[in-house]
Amino acid sequence: MNMSDKEKLRRKTDATIDALKSPRLRWVMGRSQIKMEIDEGKYRKAVDSIMQEENERHMITGALKEKGALTVEELAELTGLQPSRIVQHVIALRRTGALTEAGEKDDQYLYKLA
Amino acid sequence: MTKDVFEEEKTEEGFEPLIVAYCCNWCSYAGADLAGTSRFEYPTNIRIVRIMCTGRMDPALVLETLRMGADGVLIAGCHPGDCHYQKGNFMMEKRYDYIKKAVKSVGIEPERVRLEWVSASEGGKFAALIREMTEQIKELGPSPFRAVDNSK
Repeated sequence: MNMSDKEKLRRKTDATIDALKSPRLRWVMGRSQIKMEIDEGKYRKAVDSIMQEENERHMITGALKEKGALTVEELAELTGLQPSRIVQHVIALRRTGALTEAGEKDDQYLYKLA
Repeated sequence: MTKDVFEEEKTEEGFEPLIVAYCCNWCSYAGADLAGTSRFEYPTNIRIVRIMCTGRMDPALVLETLRMGADGVLIAGCHPGDCHYQKGNFMMEKRYDYIKKAVKSVGIEPERVRLEWVSASEGGKFAALIREMTEQIKELGPSPFRAVDNSK
Protein backbone atom coordinates (compact mmCIF):
# COMPACT_ATOMS: atom_id res chain seq x y z
CA MET A 1 0.00 0.00 0.00
CA ASN A 2 1.55 3.31 -1.06
CA MET A 3 1.55 6.52 0.96
CA SER A 4 -1.40 8.18 -0.77
CA ASP A 5 -3.55 5.04 -0.36
CA LYS A 6 -2.65 4.91 3.32
CA GLU A 7 -3.47 8.57 3.68
CA LYS A 8 -6.80 8.11 1.87
CA LEU A 9 -7.72 5.13 4.05
CA ARG A 10 -6.85 7.05 7.20
CA ARG A 11 -8.87 10.12 6.11
CA LYS A 12 -11.87 8.03 5.08
CA THR A 13 -11.85 6.07 8.33
CA ASP A 14 -11.53 9.17 10.49
CA ALA A 15 -14.41 10.77 8.58
CA THR A 16 -16.58 7.65 9.01
CA ILE A 17 -15.81 7.46 12.75
CA ASP A 18 -16.75 11.15 13.11
CA ALA A 19 -19.91 10.56 11.04
CA LEU A 20 -20.95 7.66 13.29
CA LYS A 21 -20.49 9.94 16.28
CA SER A 22 -22.49 12.77 14.71
CA PRO A 23 -25.82 13.61 16.38
CA ARG A 24 -27.65 13.62 13.02
CA LEU A 25 -26.76 10.03 12.15
CA ARG A 26 -27.21 8.82 15.73
CA TRP A 27 -30.65 10.35 15.82
CA VAL A 28 -31.89 8.60 12.68
CA MET A 29 -30.25 5.31 13.64
CA GLY A 30 -31.93 5.48 17.03
CA ARG A 31 -35.28 6.06 15.34
CA SER A 32 -35.32 2.42 14.26
CA GLN A 33 -36.32 1.50 17.79
CA ILE A 34 -39.54 3.43 17.52
CA LYS A 35 -42.47 2.24 15.43
CA MET A 36 -42.33 4.47 12.41
CA GLU A 37 -44.94 5.54 9.98
CA ILE A 38 -42.74 4.84 6.91
CA ASP A 39 -41.95 1.35 5.66
CA GLU A 40 -38.63 -0.34 6.46
CA GLY A 41 -37.26 -0.04 2.91
CA LYS A 42 -37.81 3.72 2.70
CA TYR A 43 -36.41 4.18 6.19
CA ARG A 44 -33.22 2.23 5.42
CA LYS A 45 -32.73 4.15 2.18
CA ALA A 46 -33.01 7.42 4.09
CA VAL A 47 -30.48 6.31 6.72
CA ASP A 48 -28.06 5.12 4.00
CA SER A 49 -28.21 8.45 2.23
CA ILE A 50 -27.72 10.37 5.51
CA MET A 51 -24.79 8.09 6.35
CA GLN A 52 -23.15 8.80 3.00
CA GLU A 53 -23.74 12.54 3.35
CA GLU A 54 -22.30 12.58 6.86
CA ASN A 55 -19.22 10.61 5.74
CA GLU A 56 -18.57 13.00 2.89
CA ARG A 57 -19.15 16.09 5.03
CA HIS A 58 -16.77 14.82 7.68
CA MET A 59 -14.18 14.16 4.98
CA ILE A 60 -14.52 17.81 3.90
CA THR A 61 -14.37 19.22 7.43
CA GLY A 62 -11.50 16.85 8.27
CA ALA A 63 -9.50 18.12 5.27
CA LEU A 64 -10.19 21.74 6.24
CA LYS A 65 -9.18 21.06 9.82
CA GLU A 66 -5.92 19.55 8.63
CA LYS A 67 -4.98 21.96 5.84
CA GLY A 68 -6.76 25.23 6.68
CA ALA A 69 -8.57 27.18 3.93
CA LEU A 70 -9.09 25.25 0.68
CA THR A 71 -10.81 25.69 -2.68
CA VAL A 72 -13.45 23.29 -4.06
CA GLU A 73 -10.87 21.87 -6.47
CA GLU A 74 -8.38 21.23 -3.66
CA LEU A 75 -11.10 19.64 -1.55
CA ALA A 76 -12.07 17.37 -4.44
CA GLU A 77 -8.46 16.29 -4.83
CA LEU A 78 -8.03 15.59 -1.12
CA THR A 79 -11.30 13.77 -0.57
CA GLY A 80 -11.65 12.00 -3.91
CA LEU A 81 -15.20 13.37 -4.31
CA GLN A 82 -16.61 15.06 -7.42
CA PRO A 83 -16.32 18.90 -7.36
CA SER A 84 -20.08 19.16 -7.96
CA ARG A 85 -20.69 17.03 -4.86
CA ILE A 86 -18.28 19.21 -2.86
CA VAL A 87 -20.23 22.31 -3.92
CA GLN A 88 -23.48 20.74 -2.69
CA HIS A 89 -21.89 20.01 0.69
CA VAL A 90 -20.27 23.44 0.89
CA ILE A 91 -23.69 25.05 0.35
CA ALA A 92 -25.24 22.89 3.07
CA LEU A 93 -22.36 23.43 5.49
CA ARG A 94 -22.41 27.19 4.88
CA ARG A 95 -26.13 27.23 5.61
CA THR A 96 -25.57 25.54 8.97
CA GLY A 97 -22.72 27.95 9.71
CA ALA A 98 -20.02 25.29 9.79
CA LEU A 99 -18.08 26.85 6.89
CA THR A 100 -17.23 30.40 5.88
CA GLU A 101 -15.52 31.98 2.91
CA ALA A 102 -11.88 32.89 3.43
CA GLY A 103 -10.90 34.96 0.42
CA GLU A 104 -10.00 33.80 -3.08
CA LYS A 105 -7.27 31.78 -4.73
CA ASP A 106 -6.88 31.37 -8.52
CA ASP A 107 -10.35 32.88 -9.12
CA GLN A 108 -11.93 30.34 -6.76
CA TYR A 109 -13.39 30.88 -3.34
CA LEU A 110 -11.45 29.56 -0.39
CA TYR A 111 -13.43 27.95 2.40
CA LYS A 112 -12.47 27.44 6.02
CA LEU A 113 -14.12 26.08 9.15
CA ALA A 114 -16.12 28.71 10.99
CA MET B 1 -6.57 -1.37 24.69
CA THR B 2 -3.21 0.10 23.77
CA LYS B 3 -1.18 0.11 20.60
CA ASP B 4 1.30 -2.36 22.16
CA VAL B 5 -1.37 -5.07 22.29
CA PHE B 6 -1.63 -4.86 18.52
CA GLU B 7 2.11 -4.52 17.89
CA GLU B 8 3.00 -7.90 19.34
CA GLU B 9 1.26 -9.94 16.61
CA LYS B 10 2.72 -8.04 13.66
CA THR B 11 4.78 -10.78 12.08
CA GLU B 12 4.91 -10.85 8.30
CA GLU B 13 5.49 -14.59 7.93
CA GLY B 14 2.90 -16.93 9.41
CA PHE B 15 0.27 -14.23 9.81
CA GLU B 16 -1.49 -14.47 13.13
CA PRO B 17 -4.67 -12.37 13.16
CA LEU B 18 -5.69 -10.31 16.11
CA ILE B 19 -9.37 -10.41 16.93
CA VAL B 20 -11.00 -8.17 19.49
CA ALA B 21 -14.16 -9.67 20.97
CA TYR B 22 -16.68 -7.47 22.72
CA CYS B 23 -18.64 -9.88 24.89
CA CYS B 24 -21.72 -9.04 26.88
CA ASN B 25 -21.39 -9.54 30.61
CA TRP B 26 -24.44 -11.75 31.09
CA CYS B 27 -24.13 -14.36 28.32
CA SER B 28 -21.11 -14.33 26.03
CA TYR B 29 -18.52 -13.42 28.64
CA ALA B 30 -19.86 -16.20 30.83
CA GLY B 31 -19.77 -18.46 27.74
CA ALA B 32 -16.11 -17.56 27.20
CA ASP B 33 -15.48 -18.26 30.87
CA LEU B 34 -17.17 -21.65 30.53
CA ALA B 35 -15.05 -22.45 27.48
CA GLY B 36 -12.00 -21.85 29.67
CA THR B 37 -13.18 -23.80 32.70
CA SER B 38 -14.41 -26.65 30.46
CA ARG B 39 -10.93 -26.68 28.87
CA PHE B 40 -12.16 -26.23 25.32
CA GLU B 41 -9.19 -25.28 23.20
CA TYR B 42 -9.39 -22.19 21.02
CA PRO B 43 -6.77 -19.96 19.37
CA THR B 44 -5.06 -17.28 21.41
CA ASN B 45 -5.65 -14.67 18.69
CA ILE B 46 -8.53 -13.22 20.61
CA ARG B 47 -8.62 -10.37 23.11
CA ILE B 48 -11.85 -10.22 25.06
CA VAL B 49 -13.36 -6.95 26.20
CA ARG B 50 -16.28 -7.28 28.56
CA ILE B 51 -19.17 -4.90 28.04
CA MET B 52 -22.43 -4.83 29.96
CA CYS B 53 -24.61 -5.33 26.90
CA THR B 54 -24.15 -5.37 23.12
CA GLY B 55 -26.77 -2.62 23.09
CA ARG B 56 -24.22 -0.22 24.58
CA MET B 57 -21.71 -0.87 21.75
CA ASP B 58 -20.94 2.34 19.95
CA PRO B 59 -20.79 1.75 16.17
CA ALA B 60 -17.77 4.08 16.01
CA LEU B 61 -15.92 1.82 18.46
CA VAL B 62 -15.87 -1.01 15.90
CA LEU B 63 -14.16 1.19 13.33
CA GLU B 64 -11.80 2.60 15.95
CA THR B 65 -10.80 -0.94 16.92
CA LEU B 66 -10.06 -1.79 13.28
CA ARG B 67 -8.22 1.49 12.84
CA MET B 68 -5.97 0.68 15.77
CA GLY B 69 -4.86 -2.48 14.00
CA ALA B 70 -7.25 -5.30 14.89
CA ASP B 71 -7.81 -7.73 12.00
CA GLY B 72 -11.29 -8.66 13.11
CA VAL B 73 -13.97 -7.59 15.55
CA LEU B 74 -16.41 -9.98 17.16
CA ILE B 75 -19.47 -8.71 18.95
CA ALA B 76 -21.04 -11.46 21.02
CA GLY B 77 -24.26 -11.11 22.94
CA CYS B 78 -27.22 -12.98 24.38
CA HIS B 79 -29.59 -14.84 22.08
CA PRO B 80 -32.53 -12.73 20.85
CA GLY B 81 -35.13 -12.68 23.58
CA ASP B 82 -32.61 -13.51 26.33
CA CYS B 83 -31.15 -10.03 26.79
CA HIS B 84 -30.68 -9.09 30.44
CA TYR B 85 -31.85 -5.59 29.53
CA GLN B 86 -34.78 -6.85 27.41
CA LYS B 87 -33.88 -5.39 24.01
CA GLY B 88 -30.17 -4.53 24.00
CA ASN B 89 -29.28 -7.25 21.50
CA PHE B 90 -32.13 -6.22 19.20
CA MET B 91 -30.71 -2.69 19.20
CA MET B 92 -27.30 -4.10 18.30
CA GLU B 93 -28.75 -6.26 15.54
CA LYS B 94 -30.21 -3.19 13.84
CA ARG B 95 -27.05 -1.17 14.38
CA TYR B 96 -24.97 -4.04 12.97
CA ASP B 97 -26.29 -3.40 9.45
CA TYR B 98 -25.03 0.15 9.61
CA ILE B 99 -21.70 -0.91 11.09
CA LYS B 100 -21.19 -3.30 8.16
CA LYS B 101 -22.09 -0.58 5.67
CA ALA B 102 -19.71 1.88 7.35
CA VAL B 103 -16.88 -0.67 7.34
CA LYS B 104 -17.53 -1.47 3.68
CA SER B 105 -17.64 2.22 2.74
CA VAL B 106 -14.14 2.67 4.15
CA GLY B 107 -12.87 -0.18 1.97
CA ILE B 108 -12.54 -2.93 4.58
CA GLU B 109 -14.06 -6.37 4.09
CA PRO B 110 -17.30 -6.41 6.13
CA GLU B 111 -16.56 -10.07 6.99
CA ARG B 112 -14.00 -8.77 9.48
CA VAL B 113 -16.87 -7.73 11.74
CA ARG B 114 -19.20 -10.36 13.12
CA LEU B 115 -22.17 -10.36 15.42
CA GLU B 116 -22.89 -13.67 17.13
CA TRP B 117 -25.15 -14.92 19.87
CA VAL B 118 -23.50 -17.03 22.56
CA SER B 119 -25.29 -17.93 25.79
CA ALA B 120 -23.65 -18.57 29.15
CA SER B 121 -23.98 -22.32 28.66
CA GLU B 122 -22.40 -22.40 25.19
CA GLY B 123 -18.72 -22.70 26.02
CA GLY B 124 -18.24 -25.18 23.18
CA LYS B 125 -19.94 -22.87 20.72
CA PHE B 126 -17.72 -19.97 21.81
CA ALA B 127 -14.55 -22.00 21.29
CA ALA B 128 -15.76 -23.24 17.88
CA LEU B 129 -16.70 -19.70 16.89
CA ILE B 130 -13.24 -18.35 17.75
CA ARG B 131 -11.59 -21.20 15.83
CA GLU B 132 -13.79 -20.54 12.79
CA MET B 133 -13.36 -16.77 12.87
CA THR B 134 -9.58 -17.02 13.25
CA GLU B 135 -9.45 -19.22 10.15
CA GLN B 136 -11.71 -16.83 8.27
CA ILE B 137 -9.54 -13.80 9.13
CA LYS B 138 -6.39 -15.75 8.22
CA GLU B 139 -7.88 -16.28 4.76
CA LEU B 140 -8.71 -12.58 4.45
CA GLY B 141 -5.16 -11.62 5.43
CA PRO B 142 -3.93 -8.72 7.57
CA SER B 143 -6.14 -5.66 7.95
CA PRO B 144 -5.17 -2.78 5.61
CA PHE B 145 -4.86 -0.63 8.73
CA ARG B 146 -1.82 -2.57 9.85
CA ALA B 147 0.12 -0.75 7.16
CA VAL B 148 -1.25 2.63 8.22
CA ASP B 149 0.42 4.85 10.75
CA ASN B 150 -2.23 5.14 13.43
CA SER B 151 -0.71 8.05 15.28
CA LYS B 152 -3.25 10.83 15.45
